[in-house]
Amino acid sequence: MGASRKTVQIVILIGVLLIGGYAIGKTLFADDQGPPGVGDRPPDFSLLGMDGEVHNLSDYEGKALVINFWGTFCPPCVEEMPEFQRQYEKWRGEDFDILAINLSEADLPVANFVRQMDLDYPLLRDVNRRTERNYGLRSYPTTFFVKKDGTIMEVFVGGMTEEQINERVERLLET
Amino acid sequence: MFQNTKCECGHQNHVGTVLCEYCGKPLGEESLSEEPLEMRYDGVARRSQKANPSWIDRIWNFFSSVKIAVYLIVITLLGSTLGTIYPQESTFLSGDPTTYYEVNYGLPGKIYYALGLSRTYESWWFITLLVMIGTSLVICSLDRVLPLYRALNKQSIRKHLTFLKRQRVVFTRDIPGDPEEFVEKLGEQLKRKGYRVNRDGTALLAEKGRFSRWGPYINHIGLILFLLAVLARSIPGWYMDSYVTLPEGEAVEIKDTNYYIKNEKFTVQYYTDDELPDELKGTLRAKLYETKAVLYECTAYCGDLTREPELKEVHRHDIIVNDPLSYKGLHAYQFDFDETPKLKAVKPVLVDKQTGESYGPFELSMTNPEISYQVGPYTLELRDQFMEFAIGENGKPTTLSREPNAPAFFFLIKGPGLPKEGESYLYFPREIDKVRFSQDQINRDIADRFEIKVGSMENVVLSGATTFLNIRVDTAIPYVWVGAAISMIGLILGFYWQHRRIWLRIDDGKLTLGAHTNKNWFGMRGDVASALRKLDIVVEPKSLDNGGNKT
Amino acid sequence: MSFLEFSSDAFIAAFFLYCFGFLFYMIAIGGKKWSNRDPEQHVKRWGRVAYIVSTLGLVAHLAFFFTRWIGAGHIPTSNMYEFMTFLGMSIMIAFTVIYSIYRSPLLGMFALPLTIIIVAYASVFPQEVQPLIPALNSIWLKIHVTTAALGEAFFAVGFAAGLMYLLRVVDFKGKTKEARRAQRWVEFTLYVIIVVISFIITVFVFRGMGYEAEFKQMQVNIDSRGQETTTEENVQYTMPPIFKPYNSETISMDSFIGMKQPLLETPYWMDGVNAGRKLNTVVWSIIAGSLLYGLLRLVFRKPLGAVIHPAMEGIDPEDLDEISYRAIAIGFPIFTLGALIFAMIWANIAWSRFWGWDPKEVWALITWLYYSAYLHLRLSRGWQGHRSAWLAVIGFVIVMFTLIGVNLIIAGLHSYAGV
Repeated sequence: MGASRKTVQIVILIGVLLIGGYAIGKTLFADDQGPPGVGDRPPDFSLLGMDGEVHNLSDYEGKALVINFWGTFCPPCVEEMPEFQRQYEKWRGEDFDILAINLSEADLPVANFVRQMDLDYPLLRDVNRRTERNYGLRSYPTTFFVKKDGTIMEVFVGGMTEEQINERVERLLET
Repeated sequence: MFQNTKCECGHQNHVGTVLCEYCGKPLGEESLSEEPLEMRYDGVARRSQKANPSWIDRIWNFFSSVKIAVYLIVITLLGSTLGTIYPQESTFLSGDPTTYYEVNYGLPGKIYYALGLSRTYESWWFITLLVMIGTSLVICSLDRVLPLYRALNKQSIRKHLTFLKRQRVVFTRDIPGDPEEFVEKLGEQLKRKGYRVNRDGTALLAEKGRFSRWGPYINHIGLILFLLAVLARSIPGWYMDSYVTLPEGEAVEIKDTNYYIKNEKFTVQYYTDDELPDELKGTLRAKLYETKAVLYECTAYCGDLTREPELKEVHRHDIIVNDPLSYKGLHAYQFDFDETPKLKAVKPVLVDKQTGESYGPFELSMTNPEISYQVGPYTLELRDQFMEFAIGENGKPTTLSREPNAPAFFFLIKGPGLPKEGESYLYFPREIDKVRFSQDQINRDIADRFEIKVGSMENVVLSGATTFLNIRVDTAIPYVWVGAAISMIGLILGFYWQHRRIWLRIDDGKLTLGAHTNKNWFGMRGDVASALRKLDIVVEPKSLDNGGNKT
Repeated sequence: MSFLEFSSDAFIAAFFLYCFGFLFYMIAIGGKKWSNRDPEQHVKRWGRVAYIVSTLGLVAHLAFFFTRWIGAGHIPTSNMYEFMTFLGMSIMIAFTVIYSIYRSPLLGMFALPLTIIIVAYASVFPQEVQPLIPALNSIWLKIHVTTAALGEAFFAVGFAAGLMYLLRVVDFKGKTKEARRAQRWVEFTLYVIIVVISFIITVFVFRGMGYEAEFKQMQVNIDSRGQETTTEENVQYTMPPIFKPYNSETISMDSFIGMKQPLLETPYWMDGVNAGRKLNTVVWSIIAGSLLYGLLRLVFRKPLGAVIHPAMEGIDPEDLDEISYRAIAIGFPIFTLGALIFAMIWANIAWSRFWGWDPKEVWALITWLYYSAYLHLRLSRGWQGHRSAWLAVIGFVIVMFTLIGVNLIIAGLHSYAGV
């Protein structure tokens, strides 16, 4: 009887350790439910581009990425777009891309806007604010700098100058 | 250390036994006292009581202690109060928790947030406490239930005299006449009271309600199941909690599922003044919130961005508070609403001011307009659209937001009598904007020839109220209820029935009776007194009380 | 006569019958030593009269409950007035159940005043029938609230018996440190009860006088964009303002024995809903309670515990201990079912989750944990009698905090049950 008692004890204690450890561990290493921040992986998306192609975030794996959210109704967004265009041209050929996601606007204003601006980096169209929500956006513009290993280096809220972008892209490419 | 655990009756007991498992004679320290016996778990050794405990035994012993269990309960209780000081993060949907507490509650709020108390019930220490309580539930129960089961299953009828005399209910009296006959008669009386009676010549054991001893353990099993069910929600796919915003008439995808849900109509009803008491008259008191909802399953092109998904209706339900939509484990609950009407489309006509003739109407959607419209002989080409029209700093028209708060449409009108490249015309569907931005001045000459206008309210399409639903999947729920039900059964068995036992023996014409119950001594004494009274022995129930601790 | 009119008449009848029942219990106990009578016969006879009268009170109370149910079209447990009257009725039911087991008439002497206080407290709240808001429109309103209240009523009887036990066994002449400590705490408990009674009296006195004061309170909010907005809100007082609302101006104010201006201002950090008014009420209750307590001390010239103690002679303390334990043991499964399990089932239907750590839910859990600790402690030696009685008293304080305190101080999803 002594031996079987010992076995029961050990089995139960191991069970408690596994189940209890799992429950406690879950609280310590909980998935951050808030918006993605530094060190997190940006939420996946699959969006239609202005070029008529479907763009998945996973298509850009291994590249340094700038994910920029913009809208025609947001003056600082509009102002910074030519800056991004210049950066895009500067780093062409590197392992680098810019994805500019429009904030779920109607077709016509976006099309008109793009025609005027002459931008050639990928412009994507969010639908019903879904991607924007997944990224936990609170104000516009917001720009995510993603390292080659797929984690976020920085989240920048507000309009950016070319200098600011350039400095960050240089750091991104070093990773 | 050598410990003699052999009783004088010859039975070999386990280490830690308080009362001999066979005859009930008190052992060890318990035998030195004159007080009523410690009858917990019938005096058997708990599993954990053994000589030379190893470290595994020590952990086991820690969790098997009721004292530790009470400590754990009290600490959990105190910890829980902390979480009710300020609202928990989980209770507000909007607002940034990093600033919320400081803004609303000042320095104490800041400390509260910094200590992690804004997420008390998800914190590692709180979950650790729950895990420890769960462990204690398992080990405490196991440690006691098996020895107790064994002890109750093989009770001897003739107990040691000391065992009887040191019960909490005791009665002794000299009995004239045949002792066997007396025991038999008393046995009859106890049988009538629902006792199971076992006789052994001049000794008797009457027992009732033994099952109630299992109540606490059944309760504990239920609680463990309950805790495991709650934990099971972290199994992937078992738990989902999200919110959807449903404008009227639009099927919206439910995130992470293959379902779409549509709000066909949302209604709020308020109580009329007749239905309200005086002091509430004139106030808006909601009577009903209802979303007529339709659930669709996507059958083709689900993830395809270039094509519209194919939807098949699978379920429809009028969701009201307290009556959610449920379909295959997916539930949709009424959560909130926004009644503000939004301009969805207008059906204007093009009026030739010179002839007075009007062409159209044509339907102009605010969010998704066509590129061109053919009205009569004229063509209206839509060149640009502004959701919230404004003149920008550079003097050019721009939009302030993406909501149709002040929509404006920039058309080129082409047709007979107009230049080939067309005339530009800026159209504000809302009368208030037309005045505010002086539509006619902007359009200049062309304003004298043409006007785009909406004839009547019938030609204005407003969207109905938007409803917000809470979408839930919680596969563990049935197990939660099963756990709760088992726990409840255990509580009822344990608290509404009692285990009562009466032992008696007659030695040389002297009756010795002892009785024990785990609860309700009042009833126990009553049982004994009334059975004795039937044999013409009148005793006041209270006089049977031998003093001592009650449990 | 409509159902609702009949109902409010029945309520008044019930209240007075309870008061008379209490009076007869006092005669039963206090008159024991009157001359020319056999004390045992006296207690038996008057105890019986008192029991019958209080049972009639319960019948009238039940009549109030069911006629209001019919008249309103929904079960009257949906606001504070209705809930508290129901709790009072449940205490009477729990008392009747315990009485039928133990036949101890003296229990009524403590259960009845408890019921009277709770019913009187209920009357402080608006009494009109209010139609149900959508969240409450569910069959679970009946099931959850009634079972939870019944469970709590048994805890209340456990409290009454526990307090009786203490008044019976505490040595009011003792000079030892322990005896003094016990005396002090019993006295404090009685003082708190007197403050509660004074609160009710104060409310009704000022209501009878028709006292009114009104303030305009300015609240400055800073929104997320950093813009300041000021909202103005009018706050009505029905008691003379010792504390006016924070950052407010007097619009109108009846004068009260020469008091024409508010004396003090509520501190800024008390910023809950109606914080000023609540603080003012609390301060008034404490002042009135202290006055009443002081007056009683002057009249009796000894601690109130020592005044009541002799009346308890002849009651077996062991019986009281068991009654207290038994009441809690009977109440515990009912409370578990009503306040936790049924609550979870309803929450799962109405709010889409069975448990959401809402303050009211947490406090129900705290109450449950507390009583489960109590029940486990009863298994150990040394936790019967004295300690057990104190636990029963503290437990009831937790119950009352869950029912009232949470609504007054914390609020949350259950706020419609508030004041």
